[in-house]
Amino acid sequence: MKNLSADIVVIGGGSTGVGVLRDCAMRGYSAILVERADLAQGTSARFHGLLHSGGRYVVSDHESARECAEENAIVSRIQPQAVELTGGLFVVTPQDDPAFGDKFLAGAQSAGVWVEEITPGTALRQEPRLNPGITRAFRVKDGTVDGWQLAWSAIASAKEHGAQVLTYHRVTQIHSADGAVNGVSATDLRTGEDVRIACSFVLNCAGPWAGDIARAAGCSPVEVVPGRGVMVAMAHRLVNTVVNRCIVPADGDILVPVHTVCVIGTTDHKVSDPDHLEIPRNEVQQMLDAGEVLIPGFRQARALHAWAGARPLIKDDRVSASDTRHMSRGMAIIDHSGRDSLRGLLTIGGGKLTTYRLMAQHMVDFMEEQTGNVHPCTTADEMCPGGEKGHNYLITHRLKDREADRLESPIICECELMNRKMFTDLLKAQPNSSMDDWRRQLRIGMGPCQGGFCSARVAGIAHEESAVDADRATGLLKLFLEHRWIGLWPLLHGDQVRQAALDQWMLHGTLDLDHVPSSKGVEPEVTKPKEPLVVPASDEGKKSTTEVKEGNND
Amino acid sequence: MTDTIVIGGGLAGLAAAIRLAQAGQSVTLLQYGVGGLQLGQGTVDVLGYAPELVSDPFAGLDAYVGGHKGHPYSLFSPDEIKASVDWFAGLLPDLLVPGDGQNHRVPTALGAMRPTYIVQSSMHVPADVTSVAIVGLRQLKDFYPKMCAENLAKTSGWATSPYWLDFPARAGGVDSTATSYATDLDDPDTLARFAAALKKAIGNEDAVGLPAILGLRNPQVWSVLAEAVGKPVFEIHLGPPGIPGMRLTHELTQEALRLGVRVILGSKVIGFESEGGRISGVLHQQAGRDKVYKADNFVYAGGGFESGSLAMDSYGVVTETLFGLPLAMGQGDSGPLPSHEDLITGDYWADQGLFLAGLAVDSAMKPLDGKTAVYDNLHVAGGILAGAIRWSEKSGDGIAIASAVRAADAILDAQSAKQPRNEGKE
Amino acid sequence: MFETDSHEANLLARASLDHCVKCTICETQCPVMAVTPAFSGPKYVGPQAERYRHGLSVDHSLDYCSSCGTCTLVCPQGVKIAELNSVARAAMKKDHMPLRDRIISRTTLMGTFGDPVAPIANAVLGFAPARWAVEQVVGIHRDAAMPTFRTQTFTSWWKKHTSPTPTRGKVVYFHGCAGQYFEVETSIKAVEVLERLGFEVLVPKQGCCGLAAQSNGLFDTARDWVTKLSHQLGVEPGTPIVAASASCVGMLKHEAREIMGVEDPALIDVGTRIRDLCEFLLELSEAGELNLDFHPIEMTVPYHAPCQLKGQGMGKPAIDVLRLIPGLTVIDAQATCCGIAGTYGLKKEKYAVGQAVGKPLFDKVKEVNPELAVCDTETCRWQIAKSTGATVVHPIWLIHKSIFGE
Repeated sequence: MKNLSADIVVIGGGSTGVGVLRDCAMRGYSAILVERADLAQGTSARFHGLLHSGGRYVVSDHESARECAEENAIVSRIQPQAVELTGGLFVVTPQDDPAFGDKFLAGAQSAGVWVEEITPGTALRQEPRLNPGITRAFRVKDGTVDGWQLAWSAIASAKEHGAQVLTYHRVTQIHSADGAVNGVSATDLRTGEDVRIACSFVLNCAGPWAGDIARAAGCSPVEVVPGRGVMVAMAHRLVNTVVNRCIVPADGDILVPVHTVCVIGTTDHKVSDPDHLEIPRNEVQQMLDAGEVLIPGFRQARALHAWAGARPLIKDDRVSASDTRHMSRGMAIIDHSGRDSLRGLLTIGGGKLTTYRLMAQHMVDFMEEQTGNVHPCTTADEMCPGGEKGHNYLITHRLKDREADRLESPIICECELMNRKMFTDLLKAQPNSSMDDWRRQLRIGMGPCQGGFCSARVAGIAHEESAVDADRATGLLKLFLEHRWIGLWPLLHGDQVRQAALDQWMLHGTLDLDHVPSSKGVEPEVTKPKEPLVVPASDEGKKSTTEVKEGNND
Repeated sequence: MTDTIVIGGGLAGLAAAIRLAQAGQSVTLLQYGVGGLQLGQGTVDVLGYAPELVSDPFAGLDAYVGGHKGHPYSLFSPDEIKASVDWFAGLLPDLLVPGDGQNHRVPTALGAMRPTYIVQSSMHVPADVTSVAIVGLRQLKDFYPKMCAENLAKTSGWATSPYWLDFPARAGGVDSTATSYATDLDDPDTLARFAAALKKAIGNEDAVGLPAILGLRNPQVWSVLAEAVGKPVFEIHLGPPGIPGMRLTHELTQEALRLGVRVILGSKVIGFESEGGRISGVLHQQAGRDKVYKADNFVYAGGGFESGSLAMDSYGVVTETLFGLPLAMGQGDSGPLPSHEDLITGDYWADQGLFLAGLAVDSAMKPLDGKTAVYDNLHVAGGILAGAIRWSEKSGDGIAIASAVRAADAILDAQSAKQPRNEGKE
Repeated sequence: MFETDSHEANLLARASLDHCVKCTICETQCPVMAVTPAFSGPKYVGPQAERYRHGLSVDHSLDYCSSCGTCTLVCPQGVKIAELNSVARAAMKKDHMPLRDRIISRTTLMGTFGDPVAPIANAVLGFAPARWAVEQVVGIHRDAAMPTFRTQTFTSWWKKHTSPTPTRGKVVYFHGCAGQYFEVETSIKAVEVLERLGFEVLVPKQGCCGLAAQSNGLFDTARDWVTKLSHQLGVEPGTPIVAASASCVGMLKHEAREIMGVEDPALIDVGTRIRDLCEFLLELSEAGELNLDFHPIEMTVPYHAPCQLKGQGMGKPAIDVLRLIPGLTVIDAQATCCGIAGTYGLKKEKYAVGQAVGKPLFDKVKEVNPELAVCDTETCRWQIAKSTGATVVHPIWLIHKSIFGE
């Protein structure tokens, strides 16, 4: 048993939690973040990568639109390395009502969101693969963001301000005495060691899992309605600008170029268990159809990988619980002192990644209202580490870096241009990590071959560098391939079938991986045992389940 | 003019072309790109796992086929498969170690001991070896001696010791490919330097295992090395490019050319013409135009899903992409295929049904529609045949060679039934 | 935000990168990657790097690609690797084209300039100090093979030439820049053989196909030239067009469309009608219409199929035709590339690479017949001749000799 103490414990290492941790630390509090898996491994990385301009909300929700526009500018400035300024387009396809464009323009004007109408011809010159039948087009300031880069640089900033982070720690209990929180117990999932953190305030930022945390504090149920969204990554950037359909927000209306891929998203289905998200084939089909509307021939392009994420929506009586998209996207804070007569615990839900910094500011302000301490929030003013050069991410970065160092270090993951030095540097910094952790950090195995060529190299290097023994290295390799398959089999078709067949030939045929001994249990079990799923009637047929113990944001 | 057109330059296509040309036929081989044979390890698998380890691949074949309905081997007797494989090994006596009825076990880069029937001379490990030096090259990213050695210690029974050699294939290279190493070691001076460095690096083990980079065109590299270090040297399988696979491709292609086979590389066969139940010509997509190549017989050895001869579209529809032939899940099956939702499952370690799909054929290797041959002069061979997950059971080469030989012999038999074979024909 | 521009960012080549399964076959066959670590290889600069390209050109080492096209030829998945590289290089060179690339690629200008004073031009280009100066100024290596200008152009011969009475249809003869200025004898022999076959040979006024400009990334120039040429050659609807320069044939058949997106109907028409000279003779032979008497030539010669001929995916027609000559043994050198790759091997920084690329071929030539070798494309012939000392001729020279007995 290890004993620690802090002013504040933040639970959940997604974008909200890291934002809250950073804010607390910058206001001078001692704070510890507890996360059961890796940082940004849940919802914050299982999205399409869109940094909203606000355009999506200009008709339905002016306030949300305005916040997005402001926070987009702030995040692009304080975490430039996580953001690519791709720009965005809203297009009216032949299936859409051109008159919606007028509402869109008017809404943008009153919400203060920058929009410029351009001719369809100009839009087609900018994005030549777009449906040539588009009737109207509008430019917006959408960007794309890497949820992992965003979380890590916010964490690095929080650490500079004295915060601590415990990943792979599961919260087991929130302690209280005399109606006030006074500590948190957690278990280190890698070593089995228990940790007790004495504290005076707990900020529950566990997103879709916030209900579990409230339960650990003995509160009456907080009902979270996870909304499952399925997304499909295509093998290269079919567009270089974010493309939105200019309609009332719906399924499959966004195509986002992020890193080397572009992502079509997303569906929305209410689910009961955010730990076991399916990737139903009919939803993959729905995304391919949606892509075809924006880009004719989309179905012939190569689909790389699919994943599902869970929106962390707190149940709101104003809309029916099965229609999660129309539930308020704004954040909701539950004050447990009034609700459960427990002081020192706040639960946050809802919100979106673009406004993560503002949500954190609101939450910490709320806490300070209760404690009576007042400190100014400075999170919008200070640059996070790693962004000092002030350059936003560009798609050409890795190619440029490899051009400079290609004669110094061999390229291990050829699809994502990761060289050996990048990997060994990471092993030094995070020796006790898994192959999926390495993937999130460096994009190993996230390109077209899905690890077919690089994963065995990565296992070999990790073993060579003594980070792991041969049993564990082989076990990590096998587990990594199993995890890649989760996002592959529900969409397998076309070129990706050829790749899957070749990968099978190499790994199982030539290298005979199946008959290499390995240890099991190479990663901590972070998810709950699988519960029977409630499957909506429309989702018949075979299902894939995304285990949340590994992220799938490609 | 052309007696037979062979489509596909992999193992099945080359074997069929050679067999036909040996009998005096004029053969044109159309290949879209370089065949996938060079992505593999350059051995001849017959049956390695059933699913337990197989030592005599022919002895258990009847029982295995009996338990795997529709397996391509059900079309052949074990004796015929053995005869075909022996014929094949006899084509390249300098490269291949003929099989003696028992599988070899060859180490892989990950440290498995992979069963296979015929190996190249450079892969042979003497039976009395008990300790092995496993040597990696710093600039070769596809081989990690420590991992290989530690796993091999568990799978082979050898005492293994890993070593690194700092030996760039090209001055200044940090990312040398297996191809670069292999071509460099063809050069006697480089080989001598390499041998000296190797001798200095290793201890007193019985034998030396090296990644499979020991020469591309010079088949004696391994024996020169063995002599230099004074102990047996053997090759360990790597992922692509497979240098031993490149050797095999090269030697087979040379043999085909020597026999007068016309090899046309780089254009895709995109269509065909048929007349009275026979294929009369195939449409070849050359630069600027499509050209029709006519022949009496056609052997289609275009491979499986990895080559694009079989494909699944975004709606889950599986097709044979050139002739539009009917698909089946195995020999004796007359289709249609199960729904794609039943062909692919979420269990990564399970055999996926999709990769069983392919063509069902008659005894002359003619693809069938039900019980009838689709075309009277179209024969198929190799990876396109339905009924086996080749990478799991290690059976791809045996299936390719047996079916290629049968297809070629069926063509030759039909020809000699019509007219006495013209032995002197060039 | 970058505005993407027309074809370069867009068409088939980029879409074809989806087919890449990373299998390494292109890498194993790339002649440049085989000899220098300075080139990251076709898979790297092609389908891999293409996923990272947008607006900025950051990987200048792709210029080590010689554009020989071997990668596209050997790819079993249909990735247009060489085409991807050519397009990326054009984008790269838009801003900073070296003077050298402009000079080499203006083949007709060079020919026109050199022609009236050919002996002087030859003397200058053959004279070491002058070559050294040229290398300093424009970056052409002083040992590189350069064409020798002739005192008579093909068209000046053609104007004086009296044709026999035709006995069968017409063919249009496309002489190309080399056949006009440098390889005049090849053109003459081709025409004489075609006329012996009974064809009425037409030689319309014609310019450059733009291949050299294209392979140096000067797409706008190349597009203009190839379009203009297509209109010149297409004058006789339905008539076969025959050329002795296999690389120019490749440009008209497919490269101008696949690499530069030229969709002019005249180009498409000419592209379907044009035949490499040996391809044309082989078609006649296959149809039983090659009514020529071949006299024996007792000789063994090495043959090299140029990259741009192989890239047309029709095999090696010259070998099939030359085998009709009694006594002649043709040994296919089976080399990947001679190392010149159009103008690549002329450049100062690429010269050594080009020589290393060609070495297996040069060794084969020296082994089979150090006196005489055969090859369908002029720049390759210059490279082989310069590097081996052998006389290197177009296959038509042997066919002509076998028929006319000279």
